[in-house]
Amino acid sequence: MKRLLWLVPLAVAAWLLPYGLGGYAIHVADVAIIFAILAIGLGLTMGVAGQINLAQVAFFGVGAYAVAILTTKAGFGFWTAAALALLVAVVFGMLVGIPALRMQSHYLGIVTLGLALAFTNWVTNAHIAGRAEGISDIPVPPMFGIDLSSGYLFYYVELVVFAIALAFALLVTRSPLGRRLRAMRDDDLAAGSLGAEIPLLRMTAFVLSGLYGGLAGILYAGLIRFVAPESFNIANMFLLLAMVIIGGRSSIIGCVVGAVALSLVREALLDASGYAQLGYGLVVVLVVVFAPQGLAGLPGQIRSLLRRRAGGSRAQLGPFRPYGAAPASSREAALEVREVTKRFKGLVALDRVSLTVPTGEIRGIVGPNGSGKTTLFNVISGFYDPTQGSVALGGRDVTGMAPYRLSLRGVARTFQNLRLFEDLSVRENILLGLDRTRTSWIWRYPGLPWKVLDYERSLHRRGEELIERFGLTDVAGAGPRSLPYGVQRRIELARAMAMSPTLLLLDEPAAGLNGEEVRQLAEIVRSIRDSGVTVIVIEHNMGLVMSLCDQVTVLSSGKVIADGRPAEVAVHPDVVAAYLGDSMSAPTEATAEAAAEEATR
Amino acid sequence: MQVFLQTLIGGVTFGAVYALVAMGFSIVYRTMGLVNFAHGSVVMIGAYAASTFYMASKLPFAVAVLVAITVTALIGLVIERFLRPLENKDFTLMLIGTIGFGAVLEAGAVLVWGATGHAVPSPVATGPIDLAGVRIPTYSLLVIAVAAAATGLLALFLQRTKRGAAMQAVAMDHQAATAVGIHVGRSNAMAFAIGAGLAALAGSLIGPMLYVNPTMGGTLGIKGFAAAMLGGFGSMPGAIVGGLAFGLLDSFAAGNFQEYSELVTFLVFAVIVMIRPTGIFGETTVNRA
Amino acid sequence: MTTLTVEGLSVHYGGVRAAHDVSFTVEPGQSLGIIGANGAGKTSTLKAVMGLAPRQATTIRFGEHDLLRAPAHTLVRHGIGYVPEGRHVFPGLTVEKNLLLGAYTSSWKRTPIDEVYELFPVLGEMGGRLAGALSGGQQQMLAVGRALMCRPKVMLLDEPSMGLSPKLVGDIAGVLKKLNADGLAILLVEQNAKLTFDVTSTCLVMENGEIAASGTSAELRDDPQVRRIYLGL
Repeated sequence: MKRLLWLVPLAVAAWLLPYGLGGYAIHVADVAIIFAILAIGLGLTMGVAGQINLAQVAFFGVGAYAVAILTTKAGFGFWTAAALALLVAVVFGMLVGIPALRMQSHYLGIVTLGLALAFTNWVTNAHIAGRAEGISDIPVPPMFGIDLSSGYLFYYVELVVFAIALAFALLVTRSPLGRRLRAMRDDDLAAGSLGAEIPLLRMTAFVLSGLYGGLAGILYAGLIRFVAPESFNIANMFLLLAMVIIGGRSSIIGCVVGAVALSLVREALLDASGYAQLGYGLVVVLVVVFAPQGLAGLPGQIRSLLRRRAGGSRAQLGPFRPYGAAPASSREAALEVREVTKRFKGLVALDRVSLTVPTGEIRGIVGPNGSGKTTLFNVISGFYDPTQGSVALGGRDVTGMAPYRLSLRGVARTFQNLRLFEDLSVRENILLGLDRTRTSWIWRYPGLPWKVLDYERSLHRRGEELIERFGLTDVAGAGPRSLPYGVQRRIELARAMAMSPTLLLLDEPAAGLNGEEVRQLAEIVRSIRDSGVTVIVIEHNMGLVMSLCDQVTVLSSGKVIADGRPAEVAVHPDVVAAYLGDSMSAPTEATAEAAAEEATR
Repeated sequence: MQVFLQTLIGGVTFGAVYALVAMGFSIVYRTMGLVNFAHGSVVMIGAYAASTFYMASKLPFAVAVLVAITVTALIGLVIERFLRPLENKDFTLMLIGTIGFGAVLEAGAVLVWGATGHAVPSPVATGPIDLAGVRIPTYSLLVIAVAAAATGLLALFLQRTKRGAAMQAVAMDHQAATAVGIHVGRSNAMAFAIGAGLAALAGSLIGPMLYVNPTMGGTLGIKGFAAAMLGGFGSMPGAIVGGLAFGLLDSFAAGNFQEYSELVTFLVFAVIVMIRPTGIFGETTVNRA
Repeated sequence: MTTLTVEGLSVHYGGVRAAHDVSFTVEPGQSLGIIGANGAGKTSTLKAVMGLAPRQATTIRFGEHDLLRAPAHTLVRHGIGYVPEGRHVFPGLTVEKNLLLGAYTSSWKRTPIDEVYELFPVLGEMGGRLAGALSGGQQQMLAVGRALMCRPKVMLLDEPSMGLSPKLVGDIAGVLKKLNADGLAILLVEQNAKLTFDVTSTCLVMENGEIAASGTSAELRDDPQVRRIYLGL
C-alpha cells in the first residue's frame, strides 16, 4: 500500500483545485472527471480483460437516459433514479456482453458497435427519450441542502465517486480477479487450463463496463441536467477510445491520465475541432505503431531500451529444493483412458487408445511426429472432447469436462510451445496457478474488499515459498519473454505445480534444454513424483525417457503400439520400425491440428 | 405484393453496394488478416472524390469514379505501409490503428469539404421504369449492373491472372508463397489498394442515393462490415451474399419499423451472428474456449 | 557450377536455440541427407537456408549468389526448389494453379508442367481439383511437383515422408532417386532414416541443434550412434 502514497498529494491538489478555477473551468473539470470514470471502465474491459467493447459510450448513455427518463417521466427522486439507472446500465452491459461468449476480437468489436448504434437510433426516435431534442429539466440532485446545481459543489460529489471508482478499479487490477482477466486477455486457453472460468470472466468484464458507464452517465445527468443523442454518438466513442489508447489501455492510471489530458486538449481546441480530430486520429495511429502501451507504457519502454543497450540481464536460476516425500496414498489408477478415439474432419488422430496410469508413477508417452501424443493430452486436459471413449480420474468419469473444471480437480499441464502469460510477471504467472477460487468468489470485491486483500497477501506468501523452491527468486519480477528458454520451462513447471495437482501432464518439457538443464529437470520431476503426484511426460529426448519413466507407452498413427518398461519398449520391433523407418503413419494429426489451429485464427 | 417488390428492389440496390464494401473488407482480411475499421471512411472519401470531380470538374460520372478509385487506392497503400509493422503481431492494436486512420480520414474530409455535406444529382436522367406497378429507378439498375461487373472483374482477376493467383496463395500460406517467389509485402499492398478501390466504387455509387457527408462512412462501414460477417469473414461469395442479405434486412426493417430500422437491423444482426458467428461461408470456429 | 554452401549457420527463435553452427555443402548433382529425431533442428536449418527463419551465418551461398543477403522470395530465381514440411500446398487453389505458382517467377507460357504430369500421372488426372481435397500422398507429390516447376538446380525437401504409408514413402524415394540420377542436387531432411539412407549418398545426423555425426549413408546405416539418438539406447 505504500506504493499508493504518491496519491495523497494528488488528492489534496484535487481537493483544492476549485479554488483556483473560474466558472467555466470548473465545468471543464467536471466533464473531465466523468470521462475519466468512463475511461476506467473501458480500460478494465478492453485493456485488462481484452474484450473489444465499442459500446462503452452506449452504457454511458443508458445511465444518463435512465436517470433522465425516471426523474422526468416516472417522477422518481434523483438518487432513486440513479440507483435504478446503475442497475439498468449493468443489465445492459451484460446483454451486450452475451456475444462475447461466442466471439472475440473484431467480431465482438463490430457487434458491440452495432448495438451502440442501435441504442443511438432508439434514443433519437423514441418518444419517451425525447427524440432528437433529448430530455431537459432533469432535477438538481438534492444533497442535505447543498446546492448541487453549482459546478463547484458538484465537483466534490464527482471527486468522491471518482475516488471510490478508481480505488475499486485498482483493487480489481491488483488482485486475483484482475490477474485472471489479464491472463484471459493474453491466452484464454492457458488461462482456462489454470482454472479460470472464461465465460464468467468475460461477463464480469462487461458488468464492470456497464457499472462504470452507468456511473458516469448518472453524474453526467446530474451535472448537465440535459441529455441528447449526440452526446453518446460514435464520434464520442472514438474520443473515449483515443483517451484509453493514448493513456495506456492496460493501466488504469494511464486511462485516467489520457481521459483528463484529452478532455483538456479538446476544450483548448474547441475552435479548431476539425484539426483536433485529425490530431487525435494521427496520435492514435502513432501510439499504436510506436508506443503500444500508451503514455503509461513509455517509462517501461525507455527502460527496456536502455537495458538492451546495456546488454541484457543475466538472471540466474537457483537450485531446486526438493519436495518432502509423501508415499502415494492409494494404489488406484490416477488416470484411466478407455478406448478414446478423436477425429478431425475425417482424419483419425487417436484410434481407440487405452491407457491406465497408476498413482505415483512417471509415465512416458513417445512416438514419431504426428502420432497423436499432444492430441491425447488435449483430450485428457479437456481441450478436446473425444469422439468416442472415456477418461476417468481416480475412478471418476471426467469425459468432456471443461479445462477449468479439470484444473480444479487436480489436473495440471504444461504446453509444448510454452504458454506463459507474457504480459504478466513470473510471480503473477505463479500466483495464477496458486489461486484456486471459483469466479463466484468475486462477490467479496464489493462486499468484503479487505478479505480480498487478505487472500491476496496469503497468495503472495505461498507464492514466494514456491518461487524459492523452484529457484526463481532472481527472476520473479521479470517478464517471462525476457528470460532464457530454460528458465521459462522451469517457470511453467512451477506454475503447474502451484495448482497442487494430483496429475501433472508435461508436454515435451525437455525441448530446447541443454544437458545440465535436462538433468535438473529429471531431478525435479522425480521429486514431484515422490511427493505423491502422478506424472505423464510426452518427450522426444529418448535418453531422458529411458532414465526417468517407470513405464512407457508408444503411440504411432494414433494407436498404442507398445506399452511397458522403457528397456523392453526400446527393442520392440514395431517401435524400431516406427522410429527408424517403415512407419505406418497414415494419420495426419499434425495436418488435422494445423487445420483446427488455422480455423481458430 | 407491390410494396414487397418495391422493398426488394431497394434492398438489392443497397445490398449491391454493401456487397462491394464487404468485398473490400474481405480481400484485405483474407490476404493480410487485417480488419480495416477505416474502410467505411475510405468509402466516404470515395463518395466525396467522385461527387466532387463529377459536379465541380464536370467530368463524366464514369471518369469521376475512376479518378476516385485511383485516389482511394493510393490512400489504401499509405494505410498499409503505416500498419505493416503490426502485421501478424497484435490484432487488437492493428484494429485500433485502423480506427485511428478512420478518424483521420473523417476529419480530413471535414477540413476539405466542410461538415455539412452535399447532395449528388443522379447521373442517369431517365425516369424509373414501371413494371407492373413496381417502379424500378434506372439508377438502381446501373448500380446493380456496375456492382455485378466489378464482382465479375475481381473474380476474373483472382481466378485467371498470375497476380490474382499469387494473391490468393499469399492468403492461404504466406511462407509457401514466399518460397515460390512471391513478394508477400507487394501482394498485400495490392490487396489493400484493390480493397480501397472497391470502397471508392461503393462510395461513388451510393453518393447519388444518399446525402454525401463526412459521417456517412461510419454507418456504411459498419453495415458493410456486418455484411461481410454475415456472409463469413474473408469469403468472397460470402461478401456478396452477406451484402445482399444485409441490404434486404435493412430495407425490410426500414419498411416495417420506419425510424427504428437501424435498431432492428443491428439487433437482428447481433442475434444472427450469435447463433452462427462464422456467417454463411465462414471459418469453422471463431474461438475454442 | 553451382554449389550450395552453408557455413556456421545458427537459428534462434526468441531465446530458443534451434540450430547451432551447422555447416555443409551440396555439390551439383549430389544428394545429401540430414536426419535426426524430432526437435533436433533439421527443419529450422532448412527454413533458415530458405530465409524463412531468423538466422545467423558466416556464409550461405549458391554458386555466385549470396543467399544470406537475398530476400526469401528471390531464392527460387536462382534455381532453388523448396518442399516445405507438412507439404503446404495452397489448399483452396486447383492442382494446376498450384503447379503454375511454382513457376511464378517465369513465364506461364513455357513451363515444365507436362514433365511434372509425366512424373506424377495422378496429378495430371486431378489437375482441376482443389489441392486441399487431395490425399496426403497426392499433396506430397504436388508439393514436389510445384518445386520442380521452377526448373531447380537443387531441391530442398523437408520430411516428405511425414504421414505417408510405407508404399507412398517408397514411391517418393523412387522419384527422388530418379530426379537425382537426372542431375538434380538434393538436400533431404528426414526423420525417416531408412528412406534417407536409401535416397542419399552422404548424411548428417543432427542432435540438439548440432551436427552429431556425418558420413556416407552406407556407413551410418549400421552406426550404433544413430540408434542411440533415435531410441535412447
